[in-house]
Amino acid sequence: MARYIVHRALAAIPVLLLTSIIVFLLMRMLPGDPVLMIISQAQTDVSAEIAERMRQEYGLTQPLYMQYFAWLSRLLSGDLGRSIISRQPAFDILLTRILPTAQISLTAWLLAMLISVPVGITTAASQGSWKDWLGTIGSLLGAAMPYFLTGGVLIYFVALRWRWLPASGYVSPFVDPVRSAATTILPALTLTLWLASTVTRQTRASFIDVLQQAYIRTARAKGLSETRVILWHALKNAMLPVVTVLGIQLGSLFSGAVITETIFAVPGVGRLMVDGILSRDYPMVQAVVLFLTLVVVLANLLVDVAYGVLDPRSRTT
Amino acid sequence: MYPSAIDPNLPRAIKQPLRARFERAMRHFARHRLAMVGLTLVLVQILTAALAPLLAPYAPNAIDYRAMLNGPTAAHLLGTDDLGRDILSRLIYGARVSMGVSVASVFVAIAAGVPFGLITGYIGGALDEALMRVLDSVMALPALVLALTIATVLGHGVFNGMIAIAVVLIPIFTRIVRGQVLSVKHNDYVQAAHSVGVPTYLVLLRHILPNAINPVIVQGSLAIGFAIIIESSLSFIGLGAEPPTPTWGSMVQIGFQYLETAPWFVLAPATMIFLAVLGFNMLGDGLRDLLDPVSRSRH
Repeated sequence: MARYIVHRALAAIPVLLLTSIIVFLLMRMLPGDPVLMIISQAQTDVSAEIAERMRQEYGLTQPLYMQYFAWLSRLLSGDLGRSIISRQPAFDILLTRILPTAQISLTAWLLAMLISVPVGITTAASQGSWKDWLGTIGSLLGAAMPYFLTGGVLIYFVALRWRWLPASGYVSPFVDPVRSAATTILPALTLTLWLASTVTRQTRASFIDVLQQAYIRTARAKGLSETRVILWHALKNAMLPVVTVLGIQLGSLFSGAVITETIFAVPGVGRLMVDGILSRDYPMVQAVVLFLTLVVVLANLLVDVAYGVLDPRSRTT
Repeated sequence: MYPSAIDPNLPRAIKQPLRARFERAMRHFARHRLAMVGLTLVLVQILTAALAPLLAPYAPNAIDYRAMLNGPTAAHLLGTDDLGRDILSRLIYGARVSMGVSVASVFVAIAAGVPFGLITGYIGGALDEALMRVLDSVMALPALVLALTIATVLGHGVFNGMIAIAVVLIPIFTRIVRGQVLSVKHNDYVQAAHSVGVPTYLVLLRHILPNAINPVIVQGSLAIGFAIIIESSLSFIGLGAEPPTPTWGSMVQIGFQYLETAPWFVLAPATMIFLAVLGFNMLGDGLRDLLDPVSRSRH
């Protein structure tokens, strides 16, 4: 198993390198000269000679591939550049923003898993019944709900009309755990609805496929109860595609934070990216994009490891 | 008896089952209730976008300072926005941009992704492997984050938004078509076409591409729903069409500032986004059931 994990981790390295090239090239294509942008933010008059010297210092006069390797070596030592706006290291700013995003995304992910797996199993096990229809229609509607609508409805009713929870902001659990939970619930529920719907659909489809297999018929023919058939024989096999969706969507949740953190004014990674785009703070945008890519690649790696645990056959491939 | 290669009735013999298959498929589709609801939603929205000047009660940018943030009334069925503009009219015109950009981006993604998948899958080898690793890397970037980054690089605007969404979607179609090419390129009928001297581009177009059409149609419908979400997100962030052009996402963005006093300002465009995505998702699900015999047997 350890060899399998190392193998999968090594396979993720080329993907990370290629994505770093894509992000680097995208950032180099951004409109405007980075040096002129730094000068304009500093609001001082700088001669063309000094600007040229700055370009040389930043390595911008070197060939593109040299710039990439220089950038990559800085990246590997944790240097993501400096924010043009605050002049603070981008890495330090990013670190302070990870906790809110991780807290909200992981809460949403856990809630979605707790809702979607039992609902998916129930609907698949009672195909054609009113439970199946309710679950199918509910997940269809939920999967089409944009974060704007879920978030808008939750803020309007739960926060503004009923005053049960705060409409915006974030409090760290290390400062005030109760208020932290209160500020997490609405953005997490906004993310949960969509994810739970998507995973419910996958769970249902996967269980229907597994329940048609010959070994399930055999288990039923032996006289086992339906609960035992589902929990002992179907669950492990049906969970493979569900694990894939849950793993892949963990990355999507982090990128969904771009919208929910804007709606709920949460000072997380997503909000950092939006602020970076609006203020043209490109080193900050680059740092966030790299971080989110790393999260997605790690989530995919976790899916591979989970696959290895659930299905030993996959370890040989 | 099987028709021989010199059977003069061959074209007719092929057409008959094709027509019968098409009619049977249409009957299945008409019986698929969710698909029909999806199709209705999609058609209503497309007609709304197409007939916007006839349907909208006001010009989308007509300002009435005496009616700012008014609730729904007989004069303004969905109320007015912060500048006194009629929300219903802006929603109707907004459908043109939001739906137009989304549908166009999917067509661009199909136009680029399908030939790409056909060629890489057919050529195979190291080139195919290398290109697939690049696509894997593009797909490792979260879709919305990639679209936001590309839109930032390209700048504001309807056209740039459409390109940003299309770039995100291209790998999806390339992968689907490549997968289909790999599964059929060694089949006997493809080898037979080669052996009688049919040029490669004709083999690709006539014998391999038809196998990939069904999954592309299904994915195309689902991708439009996804594109609507990304387009509205870009507009919401401020990277979509320039004001005062109405888009659903930009209406939501401004509306959130007035959520407590004028909830309809957010809920109306957000509901339109929901209905559009729902329509295309249901249509896509229906098409998948229709075009995938294994799935159809379950209904």
